[in-house]
Amino acid sequence: MRIDLRMQSRRLVFAVLVCLTGLWPDGAVAQQASGKPIRIGQTLSLTGPLGQTGLTHKIVSEIFVEQLNQKGGLLGRPVEYVLLDDQSKADVARTLYERLITSDRVDLILGPYGTGAILASMGVAQRYHKIFIQNTLGIAEQATYEWHFAASLGGAEPQNTLPVKLFEAYGSTAHPPKTIAIVTSKFPSAQYMAQGTREVAKRVGVEPVLYLEYDFGTRDYGAIAARVKDTNADLLWVGALGVEGNQLLEALEKLGYKPPRHFYLYPSSGPLAVLPAADGALSLTSFEDGLPYTANPVSAEFARLFAERAAKAGLPYAHADSQAGNEYAGWQILTAAVTATKSLDDKALAEWLDKNEVETVLGKRDFGGKWHNSRTDYQQLRQVQDGRWVAVWPPEKATPGARLIAP
Amino acid sequence: MTRQRVLEIAGLAVAAAALVAFPALDVPAFYVSFLYMVFFWIAMATSWTILSGFAGYWSFGHAAFFGAGLYTSATLATKFGVPFLLTLPLAAGVAALLGSGIGFVVFRVQRLRGELFALLTISVTFVIAAIISNTAIDGGAGVNLMNVHLPEVFGSPTGTIYLLGLAMAALSLWAAWRIFRSRLGLGLLAIHDDEDVAEVKGVPTFRYKLAAFALSAGIAGAAGGVHAIYVGYVTVGETFEITVTMYPVVMSILGGARHWLGPALGATIVTGALYGFASGPEASLGRAGIALGLIVVVLLLPGGVMPGLIRLRHALRRAPDRVAPAPGLAAVPKQCPAQGATPVVALDCRGICKTFGGVQALKDVDLAVLEGEILGLVGPNGSGKSTLINVVTGHHRLDRGTIALAGARIDALPAHGIARLGIARTYQIPRPFNRLSVLDNVALAARFGPLARGRADAYAEAAHWLGYTGIARRADALPGQLNLHERKFLELARALAARPRILLLDEVLSGLNHTEIDAALDLIRDIRAGGTTIVFVEHLMRAVVALSDRVAVLNDGAVIAIGTPHETMREAEVVKVYLGKAHAS
Repeated sequence: MRIDLRMQSRRLVFAVLVCLTGLWPDGAVAQQASGKPIRIGQTLSLTGPLGQTGLTHKIVSEIFVEQLNQKGGLLGRPVEYVLLDDQSKADVARTLYERLITSDRVDLILGPYGTGAILASMGVAQRYHKIFIQNTLGIAEQATYEWHFAASLGGAEPQNTLPVKLFEAYGSTAHPPKTIAIVTSKFPSAQYMAQGTREVAKRVGVEPVLYLEYDFGTRDYGAIAARVKDTNADLLWVGALGVEGNQLLEALEKLGYKPPRHFYLYPSSGPLAVLPAADGALSLTSFEDGLPYTANPVSAEFARLFAERAAKAGLPYAHADSQAGNEYAGWQILTAAVTATKSLDDKALAEWLDKNEVETVLGKRDFGGKWHNSRTDYQQLRQVQDGRWVAVWPPEKATPGARLIAP
Repeated sequence: MTRQRVLEIAGLAVAAAALVAFPALDVPAFYVSFLYMVFFWIAMATSWTILSGFAGYWSFGHAAFFGAGLYTSATLATKFGVPFLLTLPLAAGVAALLGSGIGFVVFRVQRLRGELFALLTISVTFVIAAIISNTAIDGGAGVNLMNVHLPEVFGSPTGTIYLLGLAMAALSLWAAWRIFRSRLGLGLLAIHDDEDVAEVKGVPTFRYKLAAFALSAGIAGAAGGVHAIYVGYVTVGETFEITVTMYPVVMSILGGARHWLGPALGATIVTGALYGFASGPEASLGRAGIALGLIVVVLLLPGGVMPGLIRLRHALRRAPDRVAPAPGLAAVPKQCPAQGATPVVALDCRGICKTFGGVQALKDVDLAVLEGEILGLVGPNGSGKSTLINVVTGHHRLDRGTIALAGARIDALPAHGIARLGIARTYQIPRPFNRLSVLDNVALAARFGPLARGRADAYAEAAHWLGYTGIARRADALPGQLNLHERKFLELARALAARPRILLLDEVLSGLNHTEIDAALDLIRDIRAGGTTIVFVEHLMRAVVALSDRVAVLNDGAVIAIGTPHETMREAEVVKVYLGKAHAS
């Protein structure tokens, strides 16, 4: 009997040590989840114009829930993911969040993808006093709900902090830009950021020589490209969504013009990276499939699984990027609060998140900024170099061996 | 009131009370919101159908009116602090004004019909979106209404929004129902089928189209106003997106765009299907299934589900013919003009000129039509006979000259005004309203004729004239189901139902066989005996000579002879025109 107890103790100590090193396979230490499932609801744009990006978020959510259940679920209970298609429409998202809360009676919700859907569904969360964690809101100041938490890293004033970061980065190069041409989609978040960039540019002594807005959905960039070429600004800042950046660059190429420095706000990562004319283009990031982002084993595993599933789903760019990272972080934040409070009570979760930080694939997340955004803008700048994205700014977060390339 | 009617009204009242009380029941709020979405699309689809389904002016720009209303409410509530409920009538008003303004300009241009009108409405959407996006109304960043106060009915804003949606849907359905059963509705359906003929039959087409456009846009604007608070955050991109325009079109076509209840049925089916396939992996397949289902339904029921249901109901009830058997010719009171009385000029045309481009179709035509006579109007093809009828009925404007009816000038009046004074015509090639039943075709003429009959009277009048012309058994048929003979008599019945003072018959006998011609001649004599003055355009000389009191001969746009049939047809110039120079000499 004594021997048995000693053996058991040794096994327990060994198991704890192995777990701490992270070498023990997840499933082996996991308790089998049991009991009534915890239901977590979300809508995503599975169809409609945002369907492609919505698919990225869906893959991430499924990976996370799968991993969570393999590790024993949440509070010892299995997690059931209730996903609805908001058709890329704000009014549908709003209606379906009401369905999730009042009809499907999910225990918790996660925010959808896209500014319009996020703000429309946030109103529902507010009405039913549900904690609301979202990861892609472009206009931080619109999220005025007290139990709103942003998973993304842009802080409460990205319209100021991002351009400051951009000019700091270029300021470190041999020939910082003296003029800027700003071309932006009239998509709310893009326009919001463009207006902020114009103000910051003036403040730091970079002259805006062109400010041009185009309608969301524009296909013909010929006239815009001609204006850009005429101004020949030191820096071209493009408030582009999806492949708009590609289209503008192709139009510029037809005119025989290559911007000396260029930045794209929310581009489709894959298509822009492989476009030869995009070499040297800058953009934002908070997660990429590679170092330094995948130094953490959790991040590495997430990136590996995502690449596998994205390739299987036929995504054109089968690598985790900011969209994927932000969604994963949202799940991490929600489940961390549940685990810490051992509760599904929205108020308890909100109060805990208000006072604590959470380790995510994006790094440590705090909610010290206004309306529970991050205390400051932790995002990085990435650059297309030889057909792939590498992190270049700030230098301490850069991809090993990479640095900002500028004239 | 019949027992069935009482039961119907009681059923409606119970349904209405249940719908109003629904949010107070202990049901998940989602169902309340889902029903709101159904109401919203009912209002949008019904609004579309009032203009496009009824009048046939297809709007692909309803997002513009929806957006105008939505941004009116959003702006007033967020930037000017106007109580939200007060913004709704203003939202409807702004959208209605926008619709009226566009209609006032485009409805005056005849060529802006069909696809051109549709394209124009698309352009309007882009223009309105650009204005809102580039001004302080939105500026591109969207408008957030999350902090706008809304009175709480049934304890939550959801209940209030539900009731607003219900009221909006009920009002739009009530409006569509009233229009559908009114002169306006019949006029709009006629405009849909043949606008020019509708105008000549007495339908004030410009005014009716304008009214339909204003009402349609106003309803869409009110729906937009309510939807602003429902969504809570509005952006130009989502407000003016293509589905806002296309869904009402799809819903209306599916349900039946020419029936007041059709769009509501379509909206309920499509909204239910959209939300029924919202769950995860099935969502995309569900959407594809809906699209496929729509295609199948449209192929099987081209008029929509509602007309299909009505046909089924009729078939099950085996409804008897609505029209009594023909009352016979004796039904027309005989009012022969007094023999020897001084002739009174009923229609007086003086110095009429009309040119089309370089072709002068009428040259200083002087023609007096006497009260109670049958005036034969003959001449070779291209001589100006049909043009003369067209200028008399107001279809073409005169270049010069005057036309007077019983001494009063009518040449400046629109065609529908002339029709209401008692001038009716038939068309050489029948131009019935093809999607109205034979009975409706004739009733329309009675409703818009000089007597402007009410609904019941108009249908009684129509039944009478269908019996008179011998086509009563085809009352429920569509004109396309009639043979040529029947279509000619439909033309005649339609003209007679207006109870005209002057009837212009344009080659009413062409294409008929001998027996049919004889029957038609008897009919025309009988009509004249009833006191109607007739101008009878015909190529068939046997009929002209047999029927006419006087004959006027037109050639090359000018009257070359007028008098009794035998005298006129012997005049050298007439013989030359008809038989050639050799015969004249």
